[in-house]
Amino acid sequence: MFSRAPFVVVALFMALAQDSRSAVPRFFPDDPIKTDNDTAFDASRAVPIEGSNGYDFAEHTFGKPGDRRDIRAVNVNTMDEVPDSSWFTNRIGVRAMSLAEIVRGPNELDTINIDGWPIIQEKSTGITPGFRVVDPEGRLYQIKFDPPGNPEMGSGAEVIGAAIYHALGYNVVQGYIVDLDPAKIVIADSATTVDMSGRRRPLRRGDIDRLLDRAARQSNGKYRATLSRFADGKPLGYFKYYGTRPDDPNDIHPHEHRRELRGNRVFAAWLNHDDSRGLNSLDMLESTAGRGFIRHYMFDFGSIMGSGSVFAQVPRAGNEYILEWAPALKTLATLGLYVRPWILVDYPDAGRAVGRFEADFFDPLQWRPEYPNPAFDLMRPDDAFWAARLVSRFSDAAIRAVVAKAGYSEPGAAEYIASTLIKRRDKVLRAWLTQVNPVVEPRLGADGTLTWANAAIEADVASPSASYVLTWARFDNATGTSVAATENVRVSSPRADAPSSILQGAEFITVSIRTIHPDYPGWNAPANVYLRRVLAGWEAVGLDRAPADTP
Amino acid sequence: MALESGFPTSQKSWLDRALSLFTDVRAGEGPSALLLTANIFCLLAFKRAAEGTSERAAWMLRGAAVCLAIHTLTAVPLLAQEPTTRAEALRREREAKSTRLTPPESGRLERTLLALENGRLFERILNPAEGFFPKVGNITTGSGFSFGPAYRKRGLFGDESDFSVFAAGSFSRYWMLDAKLTLPRLAGDRMFADLHGRRYDFPQEDFFGLGPDSRREDDVTYGLRSTQVGGTAGIRLRPWLGLSGSVDYLTPRIHPGDGSRPINALFSPVDAPGLDVQPDFIRYEVLTDLNYRQPLGNPRRGGRYALLFQLFDDRNGNQDSFQRFELDVQQYISILKERRVLALHALASVSDAGEGQAVPFYLQRTLGGPDDLRGFRHFRFRDQHLLLLQAEYRWEIFTAVDGAIFYDTGKVASRREDLDLRNLESDYGIGFRFGTSNGVFLRVEGAFGSSAGKHFILRFGNVF
Repeated sequence: MFSRAPFVVVALFMALAQDSRSAVPRFFPDDPIKTDNDTAFDASRAVPIEGSNGYDFAEHTFGKPGDRRDIRAVNVNTMDEVPDSSWFTNRIGVRAMSLAEIVRGPNELDTINIDGWPIIQEKSTGITPGFRVVDPEGRLYQIKFDPPGNPEMGSGAEVIGAAIYHALGYNVVQGYIVDLDPAKIVIADSATTVDMSGRRRPLRRGDIDRLLDRAARQSNGKYRATLSRFADGKPLGYFKYYGTRPDDPNDIHPHEHRRELRGNRVFAAWLNHDDSRGLNSLDMLESTAGRGFIRHYMFDFGSIMGSGSVFAQVPRAGNEYILEWAPALKTLATLGLYVRPWILVDYPDAGRAVGRFEADFFDPLQWRPEYPNPAFDLMRPDDAFWAARLVSRFSDAAIRAVVAKAGYSEPGAAEYIASTLIKRRDKVLRAWLTQVNPVVEPRLGADGTLTWANAAIEADVASPSASYVLTWARFDNATGTSVAATENVRVSSPRADAPSSILQGAEFITVSIRTIHPDYPGWNAPANVYLRRVLAGWEAVGLDRAPADTP
Repeated sequence: MALESGFPTSQKSWLDRALSLFTDVRAGEGPSALLLTANIFCLLAFKRAAEGTSERAAWMLRGAAVCLAIHTLTAVPLLAQEPTTRAEALRREREAKSTRLTPPESGRLERTLLALENGRLFERILNPAEGFFPKVGNITTGSGFSFGPAYRKRGLFGDESDFSVFAAGSFSRYWMLDAKLTLPRLAGDRMFADLHGRRYDFPQEDFFGLGPDSRREDDVTYGLRSTQVGGTAGIRLRPWLGLSGSVDYLTPRIHPGDGSRPINALFSPVDAPGLDVQPDFIRYEVLTDLNYRQPLGNPRRGGRYALLFQLFDDRNGNQDSFQRFELDVQQYISILKERRVLALHALASVSDAGEGQAVPFYLQRTLGGPDDLRGFRHFRFRDQHLLLLQAEYRWEIFTAVDGAIFYDTGKVASRREDLDLRNLESDYGIGFRFGTSNGVFLRVEGAFGSSAGKHFILRFGNVF
């Protein structure tokens, strides 16, 4: 016989090894985190980057940049929500915003008078005519004008988009609608422009006049414009919708897997923000406590809704990529006998300020930006559900108030845009609140009563004829496994009592909720809720509803 | 966060890195490999023990113990390092990244495209507004691809005038110098005027004889050199209606040119009026232009109706004076919200010389070439009078590309009464247009069905 000592040693090591493998719990004590502190490490050595329109188009049209795995968004907390960060600040999603707050958006002031503000530079990027001015405190602003054929269109779109995106939670720059009096234009001595040969030269009054020739003039001789204040900090260019900035230590989540970037597809569809691409974003290096961090902005809403910035939006926008092979080849092969459905859309003549904007043909599921966007491509139903819940927070009154901010002078324009946004909102909710089991806001009271809400029913996009099947279990946070599951329990309202056998002595419990609805069989996929015992009772610490996450 | 589900610390332990020397090991796979190895040792130990070979079994167990020892030694430090909060886990990921920061890099293609965009090279080529730029394209029908330097200056003389000049040449030795001073915004944008001058030499102009019955095998070439100076003034009665008049001094001269078969080898002044002597001309011109095409650069609806009267006054002997009336009609019928367009074009040109006078062959209107009868060679038909009818069905394939099916027909005639719809020459074809609403940049077409065979066309700009 051989010695038993080696068996003892092996058994001891096995036990240690087992301990080491279960060291990371499913839920940490600080879960679900409300804030992802992504400003902690110094990013002051980050360098500006500049993007090429042509390359960006080609890269995304002919390539597949980014990590294309179909995985859950990586920056959500354990309750499937997006924590606050340098990318996103929960606003309308977590608290009641007043109409005034929504309308004001990022703006610090109500109105701005720019008479006498010196022009320092002609606007050098984008297709919309404009220039840069400084206020008496030396802060830099950019002015953009509406096209002559569509007065108030681009400027209206800009302030509406900024207010909505701000309320959603994104960082956006301050933007105001102003009147520019050509008689009160001041050109700074140091003002410059870049001529067509690429040379910088002094800016002259003639340059301004030629620029204003391409702008809509009001009957009072003034020019309505959008005044956008430059964000604080040092501009670092734009962020891509995939990968991370290699020079930013805080940027650890691949952008294509960030929920707020994936979910932006839903918002962009709602507003027909077909120009929602990386190049219309902005990274700014800010400083705090001796270190730098990057804040990420959404930028340029001048071509949302029916606006194409310098013309009424083209009918293709939102319906098809600039280059989409299948319909193009069909059209080519049939000599044009194949007619893309969007071609037949009738756009109501709702005024020049409206452009081409409609809600009847709009299909949120089929909506497309100008060219593929990796984060949009990877958006999953749970990402869209998160985004749609934010959209649902915009009441009719809020939408009308935001639209009123644009100050449309054409009769009926504001009403048309508001009613179209409301119709599109409703379509977005019907499309995306119903793709997953819409169980939200689970709460387990100290008395053992579990309540939750059905986001689709609450938003009135599904009939209330739902029932729920619950399966309770204790949850081992160390191993991430459920134990001692109960029999299924069916209830007809979003309320159920937790079995005392499960609650007694448990630190963590889990309940799987299946929603039974005649119109949405997919809701039968469980939403798994995890609850932790706390001093006052129970705290919801986890929620997952993506099919891939089901056990 | 996936904070919960995915993307835990992605750092490799020293064990992972060591094993990576032998195989592809991802973060966290090292300990698993060791545990697997230990299990194998254990199984072998039990097998040896069952076989009664206790010494070998003991060695197997020792091997398993070594694997587990290594595993534990690596796991225990890991255990000590495991984060205890979500915030700490994320902080560690960021801390790890902070040790390997690199500046963003872009590839050569991206840098090149960015440089092109920043330098506005495409705009300078396609839509120059000011400064120096390369003049690219055809300088006249048949010149072939030409290029040369150009310059444009806006806002001369108190911002009232614009100046442009170019010099361009082609591989076929065609060249042109052209300068223009325009005053486009007179009288509150209601009037416009310009002064212009050009000098050119077109050394290989095709000539097949006059009339509809000219023969292809009679193909000869001639050179045409001329200087032209003049001015134009006009008024915009409406944004869509203009009336203008111009006066030009022309000095056309014919020379043998560069062709292998010069014109005088086959034709005489009887067959080609003006071949022997070329006078100077003063050309008077009046144009009424009703133009409501939209968009102007690449129309999808609307029309243009232009009526032109020209008087060519022979300044040397009054032998070659003549007058010309032209009616040019374009109509664009939008189908399917402008995604399809039926484009129609009709041109009638009538030139009359006085008794005993003739219209010089080099000033006669021609048919044939990539802009009119596309199934025929340049200037295939030439005479005093001309009729051209064109129809195109254009369909948008995608944003920047249109397809087109076309049919061209027309004739030339020496007598007005022959300018009818009988015995027309015709062709048909298919092609693609690359461009935007601002204009067609490139046209690629195949023309078929003519008596002159197939023709492939690669052309800058739209057909009409």
